Amino acid sequence: MTPPRWLTNVVLGIPPYGWAVVWLSLMLLGLAMVTRVSNVPGTQAVTQAQVMLAGQAWNTAETVQLPHVWDHAKRQWDAEAHYLLALPEAFKDRARADGQELGLLLPRVGVRFRVMFNGVEVAAQAWDRGAGYTDAGIHAHFIVLRPSMMAPEWADNRLEIQLKGQALRISGLSPVWVGPRGALWQRYQWLNWWQVNLTWMVAASAFMLGLLSLLIWTKSAERLFGLLAGSLLVLAVRLWLSTPVFLPGPFLAWDYLHKLSFTLYCGFTYLFMSELFHFSQSFVRKLVVLMMRLGPFWLGMLAWTQNYQLYRLWTGVIVVVCVLSLLMVIHRARWGMDVQQRLMVVVGLATMVTGLRDFLVVQMGFPGDVDIRWMTPGSLVMMFAMGSVLLQRTALSMENVGRQNAELARQVGERERDMHAVFERLRRVENQRVLEAERRRLTRDMHDGLGSQLVQTLNLVRSSGTNMDSAQVAAMLNHALEELRMTLDSLEPMEGDLPTILGTLRQRIGPALQAAQIDLDWQVEEVPTVPSLEARGVIHLFRCLQEVFANVVKHAHASRVTVRTWSADGRVHLAVTDNGIGLGGSPDLAFSSGGRGTSNIRLRAVEMDAEVVFSAAWPGTCVAFSFAASTAPCPAVLASTTRSDSLHGLNRAS
Amino acid sequence: MDSHNFLTQRQGQADETRLYLIEDDPLILHFVSQTLLQRPSWRLLGHSASLAHACEHALASSANVFLVDLCLPDGRGEEVLALLSRKKPEAELLVFTVFGEESRLVGALAAGATGYVLKGCTAEQLVLAIEQIREGGAPISPLLARMLLKQFRTVPEAPSALKANAVSLSDRESEVLKLLARGYVNKEIASKLAIGPSTVSTHVKNLYRKLAAHTRVQAVMIAQEHGLL
Repeated sequence: MTPPRWLTNVVLGIPPYGWAVVWLSLMLLGLAMVTRVSNVPGTQAVTQAQVMLAGQAWNTAETVQLPHVWDHAKRQWDAEAHYLLALPEAFKDRARADGQELGLLLPRVGVRFRVMFNGVEVAAQAWDRGAGYTDAGIHAHFIVLRPSMMAPEWADNRLEIQLKGQALRISGLSPVWVGPRGALWQRYQWLNWWQVNLTWMVAASAFMLGLLSLLIWTKSAERLFGLLAGSLLVLAVRLWLSTPVFLPGPFLAWDYLHKLSFTLYCGFTYLFMSELFHFSQSFVRKLVVLMMRLGPFWLGMLAWTQNYQLYRLWTGVIVVVCVLSLLMVIHRARWGMDVQQRLMVVVGLATMVTGLRDFLVVQMGFPGDVDIRWMTPGSLVMMFAMGSVLLQRTALSMENVGRQNAELARQVGERERDMHAVFERLRRVENQRVLEAERRRLTRDMHDGLGSQLVQTLNLVRSSGTNMDSAQVAAMLNHALEELRMTLDSLEPMEGDLPTILGTLRQRIGPALQAAQIDLDWQVEEVPTVPSLEARGVIHLFRCLQEVFANVVKHAHASRVTVRTWSADGRVHLAVTDNGIGLGGSPDLAFSSGGRGTSNIRLRAVEMDAEVVFSAAWPGTCVAFSFAASTAPCPAVLASTTRSDSLHGLNRAS
Repeated sequence: MDSHNFLTQRQGQADETRLYLIEDDPLILHFVSQTLLQRPSWRLLGHSASLAHACEHALASSANVFLVDLCLPDGRGEEVLALLSRKKPEAELLVFTVFGEESRLVGALAAGATGYVLKGCTAEQLVLAIEQIREGGAPISPLLARMLLKQFRTVPEAPSALKANAVSLSDRESEVLKLLARGYVNKEIASKLAIGPSTVSTHVKNLYRKLAAHTRVQAVMIAQEHGLL
């Protein structure tokens, strides 16, 4: 069976604060129901007693109405007060009957007390003033009056409740309940649940929520979570100190912490609300911050002087601040509030209702159970409302982070695509640049080598006419072909391997040397790679060596030429040495000072980042090149047989 | 015909140099024809100007030396080389190339070529190259030697499945290749290693065949791994 559509729409249309109104109203109604009366059937409250200070005679005792604060007029922290109570006549017969034990219920009493019945101590708590912190007044006490303890005459029964004063704590006595043990025991359990168990539950909840807020604050650094964490953790401390625990150490130190935690709780709670309602730089906000900073010193002074008026004054300050905060909220509400703010206002008002009820019932005598305070469940609701806001803020923050991450990812993606496009353009441009450079190099090389050779051949053919020397033309064409092959050789991947480069060159120049009947002494050994001998460097080296060998063949009148490689001192050396007439031996020798061949070789050596030295070899000429070697190991395809010869080796070879 | 004459004739036929040219340039055909005039005992059995024609007629011929151009009008010469090396393993396969592009030559050798000849050579050089390869030698440049070393060096890095069947170089072959890569000629290598020049040539030819075997083994293994065989 499905609910009607209109009902669904109504339910879904109710905002969160609307639901809060509904549930809080139900909660307050339920509280009113369970605490409407404080009477326990079959029992009676003793509302009158005689009180006197310890050491005085009973005839000086004063008759007072309960509840009574015995040190209300003058603080006597070290004194004792004795209350003498009369047992109601109604239980005279019942107390003597077997199995009809009477019970005594003390809903509220001072910090230290003991109960004397007919001169026998039947109950006591924190009676001795030893070091330690405990407060007997924060929960109810149940005492059994056994029939054997009764005096023979009912009027002779003497119930005396003695209280010891405690610095900065008010002592007194609330009405004492007398009645059948069973009925009062149920009442005692009921009060114990409200006063102790519920306080523990609220303290534990505050501690857990406080830790959660603290964790989120450390991760998100959002101020709201930090304030909530502060508020809930100090509340947990205060509630912990409001349970029946015994803590070692000076009482005043724990009492100081108890009072300070309340000050900080109020301060943090206001700042949380201030943050939630965006009260930026308001007067009240500054006042609260001042209160939180001043609180530790003020309360320290209170503990030092033990002047209770200071605490009254401080409580007044807190009340003023809380009232101002409430006014600020109301003032802020005129401009409209969001869902979270409305929720907090609703819950805050409900919590104030619980506090107001406690005040009216306890202080003003309005009807209701005076021993059950609404503020405790009210605090719990307030705390869960703050937790709900926290949860919503967290969810909202995570949604925002998710959206921002998605937006960031989109922007990064776009940027990445742009970068890829830019890189692709750069790559194409770089490819074009490299291709253009290579094209220019090949063009220049072909112009200087192949083109020149072909032009010479063409001129020879044209000038020879019908008397063309075919052998000479074939030789020149063959030379042109060799030029072309040399250019293509330079394009092969030799990876800076000098022996391979020289070996390739040997194929081209070998036949010319053989034709000139010049022996070639090949002493090429493995050397480290030469980074500068890439394609452009290879063609420069080819041209240099071509020039050197052409000089040997045409001008040096040599019968032997030695090619040698070695490495030393991080450099790779190459030497070409002939046994010809040497430098200056022939006027047309290209290597003589200022020759075009020399300058060409020097220029090309600079281009391939090499040093070149021309020297006499006695007899003959030595042209030595020196290259910077790679730091990488020798080509793996070749054995590492480097030699440690130095330049002296060059002269030895010569 | 008695058995002695038959054997002599078969022996003579085996020693005989029978050429087949796969080349689309008629000038090269003319050049080869003219060259053969220097060796009357050599015979040019046929000529193909296209890949399709070569695949049909070169295989049917009884030539023992094939001159193959890598650039054919309807395909790559490497395809013919692979076919011939598979169908006629005893034949010598000489690549005819203009510039001796070593990068491409390695591929041709892997396809089964046993040597190469540069276009533009003289008739005497062509005759010498053919005689050299018939005697068991093979030409090789320093750069080609370096590339072959590199090619064989990749074997240890191959997957383990390949290692068992991978072809590796002997120490002597490795030494020969290293010296060739440094530019030493056969005679100098023979002197350095105290072996005969013809032995150096034989080592080089063995390298060519190993390269082809090496690549074929790899191809078969890869095909098996992918379930193609």
